[in-house]
Amino acid sequence: MPLDTQTPSKPAVVSSRDDDARDPVYLKIRDLVYQACGIYHSEEKLYLLAGACKRRMANTKGTDPRQYLDLLSGASTRVVELRELLNEITIGETCLFRSQPQLTALQNVILPELIATRGKIGLKKLKIWSAGCSTGEEPYTLAMFLIEQSEKLLKGWTFEIQATDLNDRSVETAKAGIYGGYALRNTSDLYKRKYFGPAEGEKLRVNDEVRSRITFSRLNLNDDSKMLFMKGMDLIFCCNVLIYFDIASKRRVVQHFFSSLQAPGYFFLGHAESLYQVTDQFRLVHLPGTTTYLKGLPGSEGNPKP
Amino acid sequence: MTAIPLREMQKKVEALRSLPSSPAVLKPLLDVLHEPPDKVPIDKVVKLVSYEKTIAAQLLRIANSPLYGRTKPAESIQAAIFTLGIQRIEDILLSNCFSKMVPSDKWVVDPGVFWRHSFGCALVCREFAERIGYSDPDKAYLAGLLHDLGIIVNSLAFTEQYREVLAKAVEAGRPLDEQEEETLGFTHCQSGVILAKAWALPQAIRDVIEWHHTTTLAPAGNPLIALTHLADLLCRVRNLGYGYEEWRVVDLATDPGWIDLGEHCPKLATIDLARFTMDLDAYVVRITKLVDTIFSVN
Repeated sequence: MPLDTQTPSKPAVVSSRDDDARDPVYLKIRDLVYQACGIYHSEEKLYLLAGACKRRMANTKGTDPRQYLDLLSGASTRVVELRELLNEITIGETCLFRSQPQLTALQNVILPELIATRGKIGLKKLKIWSAGCSTGEEPYTLAMFLIEQSEKLLKGWTFEIQATDLNDRSVETAKAGIYGGYALRNTSDLYKRKYFGPAEGEKLRVNDEVRSRITFSRLNLNDDSKMLFMKGMDLIFCCNVLIYFDIASKRRVVQHFFSSLQAPGYFFLGHAESLYQVTDQFRLVHLPGTTTYLKGLPGSEGNPKP
Repeated sequence: MTAIPLREMQKKVEALRSLPSSPAVLKPLLDVLHEPPDKVPIDKVVKLVSYEKTIAAQLLRIANSPLYGRTKPAESIQAAIFTLGIQRIEDILLSNCFSKMVPSDKWVVDPGVFWRHSFGCALVCREFAERIGYSDPDKAYLAGLLHDLGIIVNSLAFTEQYREVLAKAVEAGRPLDEQEEETLGFTHCQSGVILAKAWALPQAIRDVIEWHHTTTLAPAGNPLIALTHLADLLCRVRNLGYGYEEWRVVDLATDPGWIDLGEHCPKLATIDLARFTMDLDAYVVRITKLVDTIFSVN
């Protein structure tokens, strides 16, 4: 099932892994970051965390990861420093076609299921929400992917993508849809030819057909009154956004996402994110090479208590 | 193709027992290796390993491979065993025994893929057992390692039909056992347990081999079955399966095995499944290295 995209570039191979990452202090930092934000680094990804910490150490004029751990846990410094570290961790995560396993699972499992369940009630429209869309890479990826399916799986169907972000400037950048080589590193030549036109210099601009499928707007996920209007979604994507929220707001926002989804519907997070202890309504389910959170049909919600 | 009658299947599998390469040292070795870790009699292991020259030579080669980073080469079997650790000995031993049982033209599932799945499942079983407070993580490891014995059996006894099963399963992206049931009329669970019984493997392990795909039909009181079943599912969604993707949503929390296991191990209700799943990706790296080492020095 080729999606006509290149395989995303793999992180550095094990042998080039930074040996410093073996310092047990990074396990402590890993657990602290996970507790506070819900973003997790498994053993083979620890070198990425160590790299992010080192870049922060360079900025805070420190060299000792133990001192850095103090900075991350100190009452007066932790909030600011955690945010800075998260920025470093998620840097470079935004590019088009970032998660191939997610798209492959959408194509082979989720879309066929949605078509079967939604098609039964005669509604041939999919509603998708990219919450915290940043500069637009995610909603454009989804739009291109779904257009590509419109002659296959989605024949006779329409779809609508809502893309929201808190930051006005990000929304404007997203609307413009102009990307350079770094953002396009996972985009195949076929897609570049089909869905992009020239822009200044080497850059490419997403074409009007793709842009017309997406509604961009500014939205604060903490704005309860506005969140209530986001209804009838089939899929929600919220990648590397909730990691910046404290646990109470995280729970409130996730509750909103849950209400916004039709059942069965799926809620996708970033690949290293977890909702552990945030919700017992969504259920973590597995797809080949990726995971997602399911809002099950009424009666099957939450984790059964053994 | 018509299904193979169960009686005929049983006959063919039982005939496998007499294969000349069935592992002679397997039983005594497993027995010693399953003593509590501090009580494993190293001298006895050394003696048993020495009976099988190929195993001894392989242990030495693996111990001296770059994976273990020794500065001075291990020259004795004892040194090799210390370098590798008892657990690895068991892995290498079993994969060696089974690999020898199966001539290269009879492998249906690629042997590298098969061992990645088996070691993967073993590791996940042990890790899972530890996280949910199951009493015997090492037994869980062995269960994971041997749960798919029937795949070897099917490859040996029904090679051509089994190739067809695998090809169909790959094409449809469906679970292997479902395809076996449809094409052969029996699954690797049913054929595996016949050999397991003939080899006198422990009853708990036999149960796992027989019921890991049908936990609801399994005899009650053996949580190892549900545990292995769930570990197997996790491996298959995380790149440690049979070398192809199964296109479906795997919902562990509503799986009957999950509910059954939770009754034995209440800590299961609090397990951080997202984190455990991400940890699996690190196992994939580790296991791929181990399997590649075992195979590259063969």
